[in-house]
Amino acid sequence: MRYFQTVLNACADIGKGLWITLRTMVKPAITVQYPDEKLVPYPGFRGVLLYDAEICISCSLCVKACPSECIQLESRKNEAGKRVPKVSWYSLDVGKCNFCRLCEEACPTKPKAVWHSRDFEAVFSSREEMVRYWRKGTEYPGQWYDPVTRTYKPVAGQVSLQTVPERILY
Amino acid sequence: MTDEPRPGQPPPAPEPKPAAPAKPPVVLPDPVFNTANGRLLFAEDRLWPNRVWKGMFSLPRYRNGALMLAGIIVAGTAFVAAVGELDSRVRPVFNWLSAQAAALSLPALLFPAAWIVVKVLAITGVIVAAPIFLVWWERKISAHMQSRFGPMVTGGFHGWLQTVADGIKLFLKENITPVTADRWVHLLGPIVALGPVFLAFAPVCFGRELAAADLDIGVVYIFAMTGVSVLGIMMAGWGSGNKYSLLGGLRAAAQLVSYEIPRAFSVIPVIMLAGSLNLTKIVAAQSGWWFDGIPVLPRWFIFYPVVGQLSFLIFLITSVAETNRTPFDIPEAESELVSGFHTEYSGLKFSFFFLAEYAYMTLGCCLMAAFFLGGGAAPWPFLSFIPSWAWFTVKVLGLVFCFMWFRWTFPRFRVDRLMDFNWKFLLPWSFANIAIAGLYVML
Repeated sequence: MRYFQTVLNACADIGKGLWITLRTMVKPAITVQYPDEKLVPYPGFRGVLLYDAEICISCSLCVKACPSECIQLESRKNEAGKRVPKVSWYSLDVGKCNFCRLCEEACPTKPKAVWHSRDFEAVFSSREEMVRYWRKGTEYPGQWYDPVTRTYKPVAGQVSLQTVPERILY
Repeated sequence: MTDEPRPGQPPPAPEPKPAAPAKPPVVLPDPVFNTANGRLLFAEDRLWPNRVWKGMFSLPRYRNGALMLAGIIVAGTAFVAAVGELDSRVRPVFNWLSAQAAALSLPALLFPAAWIVVKVLAITGVIVAAPIFLVWWERKISAHMQSRFGPMVTGGFHGWLQTVADGIKLFLKENITPVTADRWVHLLGPIVALGPVFLAFAPVCFGRELAAADLDIGVVYIFAMTGVSVLGIMMAGWGSGNKYSLLGGLRAAAQLVSYEIPRAFSVIPVIMLAGSLNLTKIVAAQSGWWFDGIPVLPRWFIFYPVVGQLSFLIFLITSVAETNRTPFDIPEAESELVSGFHTEYSGLKFSFFFLAEYAYMTLGCCLMAAFFLGGGAAPWPFLSFIPSWAWFTVKVLGLVFCFMWFRWTFPRFRVDRLMDFNWKFLLPWSFANIAIAGLYVML
């Protein structure tokens, strides 16, 4: 009798396992088909850094805050040779960046002049592309300096999730 | 001291600041998401299974899928009903060709020989084409059982050409023979493993009069042929010159030879009840209905009380074991033996083993459909407009699905438990089953 009990219990357990796999099979898969489908990260996600040269007051707080020393900037000078609170150029090495948000937290302007986008698709084919430059009038994603052609080029196709990036007022 | 405000005196009023120029309020542009290069999934779009399961058919992709499935079933039914029985289609061609051969006064044996070649080619086509479909199916089923998609790109529709691409890849890969290998044994292993499958398919009856060779000893012949394949696996294990392969080969020998016994014994009740070893006659013995001929439950052997279910279950379990599939895949246990007897095989030689495994799976399912599920018979008379070969295919595919279902559900047996299960459970019960079948025959 105990023998049949064991056999029946084993059959019940086997059936339970089979039922679970069958149920899972008809449920939808949770995979995201990446190049065709893209997950948009939650707000507050620390993606690639973006920068706004119009707002920046070139206070260098982000340079001091950055633990990996990836930010450099230079202030603009007026006719008298005196520095004004506007940026002449601003560069950011995405290769060095460790996405810690300290620069954004240090930034005193409102809205932030440097901030993390939600974009996770930073792709580079050379080291030069990792260093992004901004000047007055440069787009948010910035430019990179090509030492071969000695020109600044847009970072095309790198910030692709948002055409107008999300910014938070705080 | 003069600067400190004395008690009792109000503090000096602060000087009014000059009014700051009114700053314009900061207006930020709304974020715009770039949908040009892909469908963006926001948090609320994530289709977590449990949430979707409740309102499944409110989703367009599920509704479309269900409609597509229904359409495929209806269209497929209409198609096979329009094609009709294959023997009625082929017989006029055969008659015409034989008349032509007679008119040309060809030698008497030439035309039958040519016809045998045609049948062999047809069977070979089935054996070679089935794995191409089954591998894709297995990958999709396993993926969906693990909440994945499986192949999705190759061929456009859900990766249906993935197996073809894999086959081309295997075909182009280098054939490596290890230095320590016994060259000839290593070469002959896959051939010996695959060759008998083609022979074993000869007496399988794919529908009404669709057997390549209507052998009177069909069942014995099939079991004899599948027994030869064990030799190929042992040769592969021994000839590879690798300890993992050797262990895999030895395990395969132990397992396959052991499971062969209850497998053969579980068929004996069927043979006793049908009174024949011929597969066509076994199928014919299952015609009719239980309960005085009222067409509710067909007289398939699986519906014989106790004896049918027991032998079906034993045959199913041992068939899974014979094809070296999980949970009985100790000969190629990945976590223990790299990949067992085919560790040292690559390219086309590996694909031979792969083909043999899937062909044996198909063969086992064909046998089960013929022994227990009435072959090409329709379960109810109103469904008999669907030809027998389509019924046979449907039954075989359903059983193949069961094989895949087991594979992706159960963990692997331990070696000693595997042997215990065979010798202490399946074998005694198959003996008991024969005794019960004897009671049936006596009554």
